[in-house]
Amino acid sequence: MSADKRKTMIEVVGLNKWFGQFHVLKDIDLVVRDGERIVICGPSGSGKSTLIRCINQLEHHQEGDILVGGVPVEKKGGNVREIRGQVGMVFQSFNLFPHITVLENCTLTPQLGLQMPKAEAEEIAMKHLTRVGIDDQALKYPLQLSGGQQQRVAIARALTMQPKIMLFDEPTSALDPEMIKEVLDVMVELAEEGMTMICVTHEMGFARQVADEVIFMDQGEIVEAGAPESFFANPRYDRSQQFLAHVM
Amino acid sequence: MSDTLIFSPKPDRPAPAESVGLIGWLRGNLFKDVPNALMTILGAYIAFVVLSWVLNWAIFNAVWEAESRRECLDTVGRSGACWPGVGVWFENMIYGLYPKDKVWRINLGFAVLIAWMIPLWMPKVQSKVAIGLSAVLIYPFLASYFFLGGDKSILWTALISMSLTGFGWVWATALSETFVGKSIGEVIVDKAGARNADERRQRLIKRGAAFVIFLVAVLLVNEWALEEVRTRFWGGLFLTLVISGIGITFSLPAGILLALGRRSDMPVISMLCTAFIELFRSVPLITILFMFNTMLPLFMPQGVEVDQLLRAIVAVCLFAAAYMAEVIRGGLQAIPKGQFEAAASLGLGYWQTTTQIVLPQALKIMIPTIVGNFIGLFKDTTLVSIIGLFDLMNMARAVGEDTTWLGLFIEPFFAVTMIYFVFCFAMSSYSMRLERKLATGRDR
Amino acid sequence: MALSTEAATPKSSPSNPLSRMWRDARIRAIILQVLTLVGVIAFFGWLVMNTAYNLSQRNMSAGFGFLDVSAGFGIGFTLVEYQEGDSYLRVFYVGILNTLLVAVVAIFLATVLGLIVGLARLSDNWLIGKIARCYVELLRNTPLLLQIIAWYFGVFNLLPRPKQSIELAEGFVLNNRGFYLPAPVPEAGFNIVLITFAAAVIFAIGLYRWASVRLDKTGKAFPAISTGIAVIICAPLAVHLALGAPLGWDIPVLKGFNFTGGTSVPPSFCALIVALSAYTSCFIAEIVRAGIQSVSKGQLEAAGALNLPPNWTLRRVVMPQALRVIIPPLISQYLNVTKNSSLAIAIGFPDLVSVWMNTSLNQSGRAIPIVAMTMAFYCLVSLSVSLVMNYYNKRALLKER
Repeated sequence: MSADKRKTMIEVVGLNKWFGQFHVLKDIDLVVRDGERIVICGPSGSGKSTLIRCINQLEHHQEGDILVGGVPVEKKGGNVREIRGQVGMVFQSFNLFPHITVLENCTLTPQLGLQMPKAEAEEIAMKHLTRVGIDDQALKYPLQLSGGQQQRVAIARALTMQPKIMLFDEPTSALDPEMIKEVLDVMVELAEEGMTMICVTHEMGFARQVADEVIFMDQGEIVEAGAPESFFANPRYDRSQQFLAHVM
Repeated sequence: MSDTLIFSPKPDRPAPAESVGLIGWLRGNLFKDVPNALMTILGAYIAFVVLSWVLNWAIFNAVWEAESRRECLDTVGRSGACWPGVGVWFENMIYGLYPKDKVWRINLGFAVLIAWMIPLWMPKVQSKVAIGLSAVLIYPFLASYFFLGGDKSILWTALISMSLTGFGWVWATALSETFVGKSIGEVIVDKAGARNADERRQRLIKRGAAFVIFLVAVLLVNEWALEEVRTRFWGGLFLTLVISGIGITFSLPAGILLALGRRSDMPVISMLCTAFIELFRSVPLITILFMFNTMLPLFMPQGVEVDQLLRAIVAVCLFAAAYMAEVIRGGLQAIPKGQFEAAASLGLGYWQTTTQIVLPQALKIMIPTIVGNFIGLFKDTTLVSIIGLFDLMNMARAVGEDTTWLGLFIEPFFAVTMIYFVFCFAMSSYSMRLERKLATGRDR
Repeated sequence: MALSTEAATPKSSPSNPLSRMWRDARIRAIILQVLTLVGVIAFFGWLVMNTAYNLSQRNMSAGFGFLDVSAGFGIGFTLVEYQEGDSYLRVFYVGILNTLLVAVVAIFLATVLGLIVGLARLSDNWLIGKIARCYVELLRNTPLLLQIIAWYFGVFNLLPRPKQSIELAEGFVLNNRGFYLPAPVPEAGFNIVLITFAAAVIFAIGLYRWASVRLDKTGKAFPAISTGIAVIICAPLAVHLALGAPLGWDIPVLKGFNFTGGTSVPPSFCALIVALSAYTSCFIAEIVRAGIQSVSKGQLEAAGALNLPPNWTLRRVVMPQALRVIIPPLISQYLNVTKNSSLAIAIGFPDLVSVWMNTSLNQSGRAIPIVAMTMAFYCLVSLSVSLVMNYYNKRALLKER
């Protein structure tokens, strides 16, 4: 195994989080390097979503360190904007802004966050919308689109901030089966272009195709982590075997 | 295949002290940052000042026994409440100017209402809808006689007897369904030994029994001779409850009919309902009360006198019905078209669809708003004080005009405010509980 | 055989043309409507007949001729000139103005107060939230009339006599005759200040437009709103000072037993405004709270994940969605304030109902035209507001599939 010279994008050391008295994340250690594609899977309630939400500070952790691009995440959320500028997120429920058009959803960040002129912002927005195959719907309103189309818009919207890392929180769980493929295809393309991504998902096919590492979580801990071939073929722990037996 | 490793989960650790427990709660909720901490301190100070001032006035410095206001003022001046005035007038605030020796009739009337409605809470009773409807449609005759008294025409006697019979029926049904598991009609048929007889005979027996009981009721009612107490003497909480009670029970069915009428395909009905609703909703209640008060005598044929209380009640009822109609229309609009289509494809007619499918859903959605309307109606009854009726609020003012307690104003108003607050708050808490209980299969 | 011919005829094929008509839903509908119409017309006709008879008995007419007649009573508070000898029509006009004054002032105060309380309800601070909740529950569950009378008889009527007035500030005096404030007396040159003000407003609007265009063109934001407000306040002020303050003030001065000079509003007005504003504010607070809570948490999370600056999140994500939910019920509340102002009659403030539907009706006896005119006014107000709201609702509807 050659020394991994790629830059460390995300480093999580000894992460512990409680919801009230409920210990939801226990001693999580994680390293994500540039260009890596990580898939996190596990039963519901295992803390997978909570973990990635801690990374971009949608949840606050009580113990442990998170470093994003070398910058430590402050527990009380002091440098939130600096962190979030590097990390993009796609949600299970899309969370598009329903009162503005698809194009306006995507120009909001470049225009107001990155302070670009409108023409330039629209150019970037259209570029990403074309990339996800939705450019013909640019002037429609989000609620006029199907679920799969909305999620692709959400991906394009997240990409307009030019993030270095993309987080996906069960992006296809709220979609009808026929629409899952169109979203996964976009994510695969993104991966092949070299985007660093952490993806919480139940779609094992996607994991097999794209992931560099699969992490299995249960009850707030990382049970097992490894390359997809070895994880799917030879899970080492009983819990992993049980889980895979149910999901496959 | 290598040996399977057993996953033993790490034990839970308790959360760090600053984030949970009392300290965690204090930090999160009261002292999150400097502005918050300042607000907490300021708020606590203001709350303390206000509470201590109110408690001092109402309890600690208050006078509990005195013969007149002068005595109170001599004792504590204005820094303490003078409760004896409220105590002396309390019965008037509840019953108005109703003759004190006949107040038992009011109590009896309300006791009968409560007794009438108790079966609604008994778990084994099946006929709850019928009992509820009878409370609304049949009970009022009995109550009117208790409250009003006076001479009984034949028709009036018949109605009161029917009401009494209804009361008997309600309790007979409640008891028979709870202890025997069958409706009272079936029990009577059994006792007459006609369990296996055909339908017609059974119905004959049931109707015969009902008729016999009715006759007994008539004989009883004939013996009653309650002196008339004219509505001029009705007042206080009693009057407020009568007006709002009638208003509430009228507004719901009337509102339903108006809402259905407004949505109707028949243009004449739709326009009439819309005009009625829009007119009564555009103007203040006080103008409607004035209108009925001053103009009704002009509209009535020569010699017909309409009781002033009745005028106010009609005004309140029509006003409430218009508002209720809009609330129900909102509920009807919220029902997806698919429901109507499904009902039509099942062959259900207009009234069947409406009563079985549409209205139950619409009413369930709008329960909080409907109860909000009831609460509003209860509060709006204070307006009748402006046209001279002696509702609860006017009785409070009357205390301060009594020479013994001249000028006593804040104490009776405090008491009346408490009464209104308790009623309204109880109703809104009940509606929130009802909403939660009935949230079946909606947003999970 | 006991089969009767009657039983043999199935019920579903009537040979009777009348019952065939009844079964046809369309014809049934028409018959029903005709009957309803006839019934309604008959009922109103009966009312009209009775009324005509009663009116003739009392020697009254139902016309509007009385409007020119002198009313013959004084009015305690008027926004415009009014003498005892003025016509009934003038009384109607004065009443309308008073009602509108109460409505406008109460609406403004209620909105400001309601906004504060609504935001307090949403606060992270448990104590502030609870205090706001107590305020809302207490005022909401007590009748408005009770509150108006409590404020009037309990507070504003108990104020000291003019000789011992409470002075809030120089020229702002509270006593049991009312609330006195200085009246502005424009001198020569004040017109220039007013013109400056108008110019400042136009400039601010223009500035906002320019800033929007600039934002689109170059991506750079300009604090147009705060600059605009600053200009609107400072420019007229500067001109005012430069011209040597051409605005005199007629300060109320105690002369003998009472104050002269300045303007005043009676204690009944103060009580009405305070009670109406406080009462309506708790409904507005709940509306604001519901509106802001209607914006789902996911929207805020998405905006956060996109690293949108917080002020832009508020302006472009939260406010547009919250306002859609807030505005319709808010307008309803404004309408309620206008209607509730009629309770002024309980404390003697001369609003439309008090001065027109009560005093004028008693004086002139012309019940029908007076009631009709009052209803017409309120109907007009309500219906015009409804039209505006419908228009807003249509425009603001979120476009769905």
